[in-house]
Order: sequence, then structure tokens, then C-alpha cells
Amino acid sequence: MKNRHDKAIEVLEITKKLGRTIAVDAVSFDVIDGEFFGFLGPNGAGKTTLIRMLTTLLKPDSGGAIVAGCNVAKEPDTVRHRIGVVPQAMTSDLDLTGYENMNIYGKFYGIPRKERQERIKQLLDTVGLAARADELVAAYSGGMRRRLEIARVLVHRPEILFLDEPTIGLDPQSRHLIWEIIGKFRKRDSMTVFLTTHYMEEADLLCDRVAIIDSGKVIALGSPEDLKARIPGNDIVSLTIPDISSGIAGKIEDLPFVHKLDVQDNAVRVYVDSGAQNLPVLIEKVGEAGGKVMSATIQEQSLEDVFIHYTGKSIREEVKKVSFLVGAGVPQKWGR
Amino acid sequence: MTKLLAVIERDLKKFRRNPLVIAMSVLMPIVYLVIIGNSFQGKLKALPMAVVNLDSGPYAKRVIENLRAIEAGPDTFTIFNINDRKVAVEGVKNGKYKAALIIPPDFSKRVVLKSGPEAGLFLDNTDGISSGAIRNSVGSAFRFLGTDYVSVRERYDRVHMREINLYSKVDYYQSLVPGVVIMAIFLGTLTTGAFNLVMDRFLGIDESYLLTPLSKSDIVSGLIISGLLITTVIAVLILVLSMLITGIPFSRGIEQYISVLIVINLTTLGLLSMMFLIMGRINHPRIVGILSGFLNVILFFPSGAVYPVASFPGWLKAFAKINPEAYAVNALKAVLFKRAGLADISGDIGFLLVFTLIMLTSSIVTFKRTL
Repeated sequence: MKNRHDKAIEVLEITKKLGRTIAVDAVSFDVIDGEFFGFLGPNGAGKTTLIRMLTTLLKPDSGGAIVAGCNVAKEPDTVRHRIGVVPQAMTSDLDLTGYENMNIYGKFYGIPRKERQERIKQLLDTVGLAARADELVAAYSGGMRRRLEIARVLVHRPEILFLDEPTIGLDPQSRHLIWEIIGKFRKRDSMTVFLTTHYMEEADLLCDRVAIIDSGKVIALGSPEDLKARIPGNDIVSLTIPDISSGIAGKIEDLPFVHKLDVQDNAVRVYVDSGAQNLPVLIEKVGEAGGKVMSATIQEQSLEDVFIHYTGKSIREEVKKVSFLVGAGVPQKWGR
Repeated sequence: MTKLLAVIERDLKKFRRNPLVIAMSVLMPIVYLVIIGNSFQGKLKALPMAVVNLDSGPYAKRVIENLRAIEAGPDTFTIFNINDRKVAVEGVKNGKYKAALIIPPDFSKRVVLKSGPEAGLFLDNTDGISSGAIRNSVGSAFRFLGTDYVSVRERYDRVHMREINLYSKVDYYQSLVPGVVIMAIFLGTLTTGAFNLVMDRFLGIDESYLLTPLSKSDIVSGLIISGLLITTVIAVLILVLSMLITGIPFSRGIEQYISVLIVINLTTLGLLSMMFLIMGRINHPRIVGILSGFLNVILFFPSGAVYPVASFPGWLKAFAKINPEAYAVNALKAVLFKRAGLADISGDIGFLLVFTLIMLTSSIVTFKRTL
């Protein structure tokens, strides 16, 4: 039935321009069969454009990709049969019931009636919507719709599941439920999962390997542990120092246990070994240089810090600046 | 085939879930028929006219009788008898009457003496349509006033024109029915078919079914077929309702029913395909709103539904030659009013068929199966 491939996805120098900006810039990477692969980056980094090229919705300007053993540009129809894609925007029909939504999609893939009915029942059970299957989707909450959409794209038993920001805009409880469901399906159907997200903890928790993308380029790739280990220092001390001078910064940087220093206004991030032990020394040094530490926190490194390490900026700042519409390629649609 | 049927099923289910859309699609053309049929009539009726008769002679009496006959028959005007000519003229000025007819005291005398009999007709000429109608009717009341004494022999010298109506009488109200059916088809094809694609794009839902193995022709023909089913049902319903309302007799021959169905189906299919070609890349319903008014004007008015194509200036006649609605109106009029059979409307059907094929092929070819 399925002919599996060692590499579920092979991407080679794939490039796409949208208007004047290069949305995806010569990106190359492989996803191993059965892997949970994450694409992490701020909104506007090119995640949706990339996923659309991998799922046959957009044609690359140059480069290409082999998905589930087929070239996306040459055999889009075979690729469509082998993949299931949950786009970032909610795409169920509001004026159809949950069951009808799934049934219609099952027919789109030409699945025979009996098999279709059984499969839909089983999927709705797994996502916890069996009891509300005959209600109009208009009456569903955002989390329920998302669960329905995940179930819907699995009707034809795809080899690879693509999820574009599956938990965007959901409350923490719904988010955890989605994570749980994806995990369940993955284990049962031994699927390859390709996920894009701008939530660090999501990538950290779910993914075997993570690619970090910024401004259309992959800037780091590896397991979350690998990526974190690549940043110097194992702890980060965040200090608030009003009117910080270069003298103070210099004094801190000279300390033997300090690996790196980021200054943004009053906020100073210091990459250090053994943060708890060395914090008093840090505060003392700042005092000697004529500064004053107003507050201090110590945290273990996360993927967020990996992102900051490679790009010099925080993912969350980017998120705050743009409206939720910017995701899912919505503004691009108007110019289409 | 399963895929194509699924596209149709999805569309029909969604349509059924919106009862308001269904009600509006049926109600609007019927309201249109009733409003246009009663407000914008072929003949004017019951225009108020003041009549001041200052002559007690026989010819003035004859004129009044003629006017009464017009009032009772075609009912172009309603007569108000006034004694004072000043009051009558003032009444026209302040809008109470559309006209005032003054018959002077020496009218009959002058008719007898053949010394140029005169009557005055004061008209509100700012309302050209009303004053024209009154001028014609009143004029006919004065015709042959002095000629009633001509001998029988002389009458054979006059040329007689006999009017022979080829078909049973069609009044203005009835003559609107083909146009109303075409309007229903236009509205139906505008709000089904390609419009669903526009809405899916607007809501971002299109992304999901573009991700499935549906082919270009599955999507285009699926939406067109569901639009055809919906629009045909609405158009037939409107045809039957408006025939009942205006009193057009139903045919006994099966050929007429088949002809009407063929014309309705082909027109629907042609317009649906044309809409697909026009709206294939549109992603906002507002653009469709603007387009609808525009398309309706350029297709409906030059179709001959309300005014005969023969009276158009050359350039508009040329456009009517390629306007599918003109052929549809012509065919429907022939079948409904002239009891035409399939052979009589084969030319119209032929054009509609060619139009549909061209539009359908180009809409499938130009449709892009990407975001």
C-alpha cells in the first residue's frame, strides 16, 4: 500500500519571491521518515510560504523538493494523495456538520463508502468530537474546529502530516489537547510530521529536530538539545540596570564565567556558567563600576535563547508587532 | 466521478443550509415583475384631465361623448368637469391635473360654418410622457367631427387598413415574463457557481480543497453543475409563477415544455461559464457586487426584454448580436407567445450552445489551481 522512503522530505535550494521580498531564500534540508520535524521562526519568516511550496500550493521560483518520494512540481497529484495538510487558517465549512465536512473530504480522495465511514468514526473518536459530529461547525469553538481539521486531513491515511501553526490563537488548554492528539496519531499511524510554529515550547516539547528560520533563511538545524548546547553558557542571567554605560558592560564581559552579553536598553542578558553561584559576583561588579542592579532573574536556556543567539532578536517581540492576520499569508492574498 | 459528485454535494448542501438565499432568489424576480409591470407600463392610465365645456351645441356634446368613451375604454385619462377655465388652468399649473381642455362657446357654430373651429388643450409639458399620451387621445376625440354627413358611396374611396393579429393577444404585463425569467437566471448564475469560489477564497477555505487531488475540471464543472441545478429549479419556478400571475395560458404540447427547458438550461450553463471566466480570480465579494450591477445593465437592457432590439442604434444592435440574453429572450418569447417549436428556435439554441462551449472551455483552461 505505502512505499516508504528513507527521506520523507528532501528540500534543495528552494526559493520563492513574493512581490519584492524573498520569502524563502535557497533553503535546503531533509526530513527523515517517521520524524517529527519542526520549523521555528517568527511571523513573516517564510514558514507558510515554504509549507505551501512543499504541499503543491505554490510553485517554487527555483530549487525544488521531493515529498513522499515525488517531485512536488512534476507530480503534484501523487503528492496530494500522500500528504495531509492543516493550513494555518481554519478551513472547515461552517454550514456543514463535522461529519459532513469529513465525509466530503473523504470523497475528494475517492475513498470507498464503507472504509470512509469507519475511518471517519474512528478519527472523530480520537479527536473527541464523536458526540458533536452532527452539529454544524459554526457551533464549534476554535479548538474544536482545529481538532476537526486535523482529523479531516487524516481521512486518507497520509504518510506525512503538515501542520502550519496548528495552535495559533488557541487557549493553553486547547493547545495541550492538540499536542496530545498529534502525538497519538503519530504513534498509531507512524507518520512523519512537519510542523511550523513560533511557539518555542511547542517545538521544544514535540519535535525530534528543529530548523530555525529567519527572513527566509535556515539559520540553525538540529535536535532541541543540540541547538541549546550550541549556545555558550548553560544559564542566562537577565539583569535590569538603569543608565548602563559601556564601562559597566565591559566589566561584566571581562568576568571569566561570562560567555556572552546582550544589551537592549536597560535589559542585559548575560550567558554564564552556574548562574545561581555567580549572580552575587555579577551584582558586585556592576556596583564597583558605578551601576545598580534593579532586578535579576536566572533561567535555563530554551529555544528562545537559541533564536536570540542566532538572530540577535527575540521571537516574541516580532510577534507583538504584527497582527494575527499577518500569519497564514493573509496579506499576500490581496495582491494575488 | 466520485470527486465531481462530492464537489456538487458540498455546494448543494451549503445552499440548502441558507434558506434566506433561496427565498430571495425566488422572490426578487417576482417582485421585479410586479413592480415593473405596474409602474412602468406600456400604456398610461387614469391621467387627471380638467374639461371646461363653454359650448352647449351638438358638436361639443359629441366631443364630450368621445372623451367619455376613451375614459371608459383605454382609460388614458380621468375627466374632471370644471366650469371656470381659470380654475382649470390653475389646476394644471399646481399639478392637480395633467391637462385642461377648454371648449369655447362658439365651437359647434364654427364646426357647422367650417370657419376654423378651435379648442384649447393646456398641457403640463414638463411631463412629456403624460402630455404626449393625452395629446394623442384627445386628438382622436376630435377626428371626423365634421365628416359624419359624407355619403356611403364616398366611403369606398377611403383606404382601409385591416389589422390582423398573428398570435393571441399579449399584454404588456405578459410581455415582461421572458425578461423576468432571464433576470432570475442571471441572478442565479451570479450567486451560485463561481461566486462560491469567490467566497471560499475570501474566507480562505479554498486552500484546503486545493490541497486535495481534485482536478481543475472537477472544481469548475462541479460548481457549474450545482449552479445549473439550483438556477434551473429557480428559473422554472419563476416562469410558472409569473405565467400564473400575468395569465399566460399553459401549452398543451410537450414540445413547448421541452423547448423552454432547453433554453433555460443552456442560458444558465452559458452564463455560469461566463461568470467563471470573469470571476475565476476574484477574491472579494464586493467586486462581485459591483460586477452584478454592471453585467445586469449591459446584458439585460440590450436583450430585447423590455424594448425591441430592432429599435436600437447600430452599435447596440451589434452588441445584441453577441448577447446571450438576447437570444434567450427571443427564444422564450417565441415559445411562450407564438407556440414556436424546437425547429423555430434552433437558431437561438445554436448560438447559446456555441456561446456555452466557448465560455466553458475557456473558464476551465484559464482557471488556476494554485493559491
